[in-house]
Amino acid sequence: MAIVSKEYYAEIEKVYKKPEDYELAGKENAYVRIDAEAKVSGKAVYVDDINLPGMYYCKLVRSPYANARILKIDFTEALKVPGVKAVLTGNDFPEGRYLGCPEAFKEMADKEPLCRETVRMVGDEVAAVCAISEDAADEAARKVKVEYEPIKPVLDAFDAMGSDASAVHYPDTNNVSMYTSMEAGDVKQAFSEADYTDKYYYQTQQIVHAAMEPHGSVAKYENGEWTVWTTTQNVYVARYWIAWGLGVPESRVRAIKPVIGGGFGGKVDVFAHDLCPAKFAQMTGHPVKCILTREEVFLGTRTRHPIAFEIETAFTKEGKLLAKRCKHVLDGGAYGGSGNAANALSLIVANLPYKFDNVDMSAQRIYTNKPASGAMRGYSACQVDFAHESHMDEVAEALGIDPLELRRKNGCTPGYLSPTGLQVTSCAFDETLVTCCNEIGWDKRDELPEGKGIGLGGSCFMSGTGFPVLATPRNNSNSTLVRLNREGYATVFTGANDIGQGCDTVMTMIVAEELGLSMDEVKCVQSDTTLTPWDSGSYGSRVTFLAGNACRRAVGDAKLKLLTHWADEWGCKPEDITMKDHRVFIKSDPEKNISFKEALFSYEEKNFGRSCSGVGSFAHEGGDQQIQKTNYGNYAPAYSFSSCTAKVDVDMETGELNMEDFVFAHDCGRPLNLRAVEGQIEGSVHMGLGFTCYEECLYDEEGRHLNPTFRDYRFPTALDMPNIRTFICGEPDPEGPMGAKEAGEGTTAPVGPAIANAIAAATGVHFHSLPISPEKIWRAMKQLRETGNPHFGDEGLVEKFAAMPKLKPLQSQVHH
Amino acid sequence: MKRVIQFKLNGVDTEAYVEDNVTMVNFLRQQMHLPGTKRGCGEGECGACTIMLDGEPVTSCMMLAVEANNHDIVTIEGIAKDGVLHPVQKEFIDKWALQCGFCTPGMIMSAVALLGRNPNPTEYEIRDAIAGNLCRCTGYAKIVEAIGAAAEVIRKGV
Repeated sequence: MAIVSKEYYAEIEKVYKKPEDYELAGKENAYVRIDAEAKVSGKAVYVDDINLPGMYYCKLVRSPYANARILKIDFTEALKVPGVKAVLTGNDFPEGRYLGCPEAFKEMADKEPLCRETVRMVGDEVAAVCAISEDAADEAARKVKVEYEPIKPVLDAFDAMGSDASAVHYPDTNNVSMYTSMEAGDVKQAFSEADYTDKYYYQTQQIVHAAMEPHGSVAKYENGEWTVWTTTQNVYVARYWIAWGLGVPESRVRAIKPVIGGGFGGKVDVFAHDLCPAKFAQMTGHPVKCILTREEVFLGTRTRHPIAFEIETAFTKEGKLLAKRCKHVLDGGAYGGSGNAANALSLIVANLPYKFDNVDMSAQRIYTNKPASGAMRGYSACQVDFAHESHMDEVAEALGIDPLELRRKNGCTPGYLSPTGLQVTSCAFDETLVTCCNEIGWDKRDELPEGKGIGLGGSCFMSGTGFPVLATPRNNSNSTLVRLNREGYATVFTGANDIGQGCDTVMTMIVAEELGLSMDEVKCVQSDTTLTPWDSGSYGSRVTFLAGNACRRAVGDAKLKLLTHWADEWGCKPEDITMKDHRVFIKSDPEKNISFKEALFSYEEKNFGRSCSGVGSFAHEGGDQQIQKTNYGNYAPAYSFSSCTAKVDVDMETGELNMEDFVFAHDCGRPLNLRAVEGQIEGSVHMGLGFTCYEECLYDEEGRHLNPTFRDYRFPTALDMPNIRTFICGEPDPEGPMGAKEAGEGTTAPVGPAIANAIAAATGVHFHSLPISPEKIWRAMKQLRETGNPHFGDEGLVEKFAAMPKLKPLQSQVHH
Repeated sequence: MKRVIQFKLNGVDTEAYVEDNVTMVNFLRQQMHLPGTKRGCGEGECGACTIMLDGEPVTSCMMLAVEANNHDIVTIEGIAKDGVLHPVQKEFIDKWALQCGFCTPGMIMSAVALLGRNPNPTEYEIRDAIAGNLCRCTGYAKIVEAIGAAAEVIRKGV
């Protein structure tokens, strides 16, 4: 698909370095992370490490009820605590300024900075206190007396749709937060002509991001302007909602993202812990810090959507996938926010990585009185892939076709255009399938003894969700500024939000590579709404592709200016000049060779001291602004493909699971740094294993979280992790920056089904729900022995889907 | 109530006046201005606040500052010598054994403590030593690799 802005940037792209000349991109051990030394020394500054003179502390008062009306808030005792300076309730914020995401769905924003009348989940914020010390603020928060009138909470998405359920937000809506559908072709016809049709049910559980750094912020107010340092994945989006919540223009809020201790989607939204310190800073004239406890992070931030699936497919007897009909019911929890993207994403990823012409899919996100679900790494893809890829193995078994062959037969190929408009460009899905199967010994899997099994899972993910959250000209996703300095170095001003994945290093590398400088000759200024240009955020696996391309265009712009100057001097074309080893020269002419520093000095001499700088931008052009509402079109400029295989050893007596081998094959185009890509994959396997076998948020019948600690909410430790063997497949992507595609999110998706399918191969039981704990394996094997039923975990779903009310589409249902 | 404690902090004899109920992690971060020790969970489960007490790794959120009296405390800020990084720190950089970096100080302290008592650990012993340090980014693979490489560097004495 032609990228229109390529014409606009054509001159600039002419001076790009050629792949054969790369000295950093894709070169192993050519450089290290630019933040590594600070991080290993304890010198990296996270939000909680920011201490300002005269700083106060803020604590939030949270609801103990999942659903209740607020009758009265009494601060009398709290105000007696020595050191208390101020208190806040919802009435202190401008009315009607609800927090949400994205800007296009502003009318659906549903979260008050502090609840005024109703609390919708345990942990909902109802008040805040400010004091001179963290301890005093904590004590005062405990002494705030809030009177509630509890209402019976709705805790299950299916129950919430029922006519007798209380409305979490809006009456007479079946608690539907959002309804989304995607249709193409003629599904009825395809089903009537198919040799094989089926209907299966699956469900996934609620888990949390568990970034090691708890959320928090520090705010100050000076000269009528706020500065907020916050744990965000998207500093511009944070600024937008902070300003909106305070009821002031964006020009009066400066948001800064310091070093961030992991996000995984959990730090996309803006919260009370951003708004309250900001308000207190204005009220008291002092800077104010608010850092959440781990329990508060569990209760009051975001979770991964639990999804229940009804999947019907139609195949020929040779194994060609003809049609898919499915319903996804997502438990959205109490609020929308970044969760508003979950429906559409669940449908997009269910359309890939296989080719089929007939699509009838719907997703409904339901409000319940549980912590709000939101974006989480491998957004919707982890749940969808567990269900749809586990299902693929059941189809293979029913048709008597090797699961690998069934996938290869239907897998995406380069240039594939899905019937709903998803445009695949580079694609090495087949190579990833074959590689991970060859490496794990797929051919010999039938020879494994009982209790041992090999499973396969494949996936596709957007390489750069194309939509920038806020409304921007031409859907622009990132703008980057690069300045070449006559003292012999360059500075890149990028809004790209490093939250640990290493994009600061990527942007620095791109600039160093293009200019022939060393990594330490490029200084990276990042993620500060006053200092750096627009970036939409670290989500949707978009940063390397979108911000990386913008960064390359920015350095290209500056490079073109410099080389045009020297081309005039030397009587050649800009693209004849090479930049390497801090020098600017013509390869064939030893006379035409000067240092980078001299080259810049001369440029400024000619241009009256004007510095040589460049600006670049990059937008995904695959769809118009309506795509988020119509769901027809291309969501991303490229797609990544992954496959993985797991070899498990199940103790047939106890159900204990041992992961013997794990192979991951990923098509990310050109890996800009192999170790960084491996790190993403190893982390993905960790998160995928946790999702599949360990993690689950548990609630009692009143909606109280039963395990909001790392003691009771366990995810894999170093002792639980298998060795992971990583293989990079495919070719450089034609439009990726230096050929790169994403490596951060899509890689989490195939882990679940690979493990589930391996357990099925080992035990004969197909698990239809997560997590697959040893206890569940034990129970499932007992069920298989006693009843012969090889399906476990889908109990009750048939009835729940059958009883589901026929919902009115509220949002974004369009037929094609 | 406040009391005076005397202890060694990163090799320096130190005296401080502390509240009885202040945890070690808050004392280090807020009173000693050593923010490298991180607060991840506040209940001894994540290991981000790991420091060394007389050479043994402890989670400093589970310890009161007054308990440091007459002991030797080392934090992440105290393991580089004369501006030269500790081999574990150096290998974490070279092996790309960190991403967000929030668990890194605690992880490194557990590793340094391990290598202090066992200069030639097996992979299992490395994993066991850092099993109390949670990391959500890396899958631990490159961390285990870095600690193994650091052990070798230390054994060779280079």
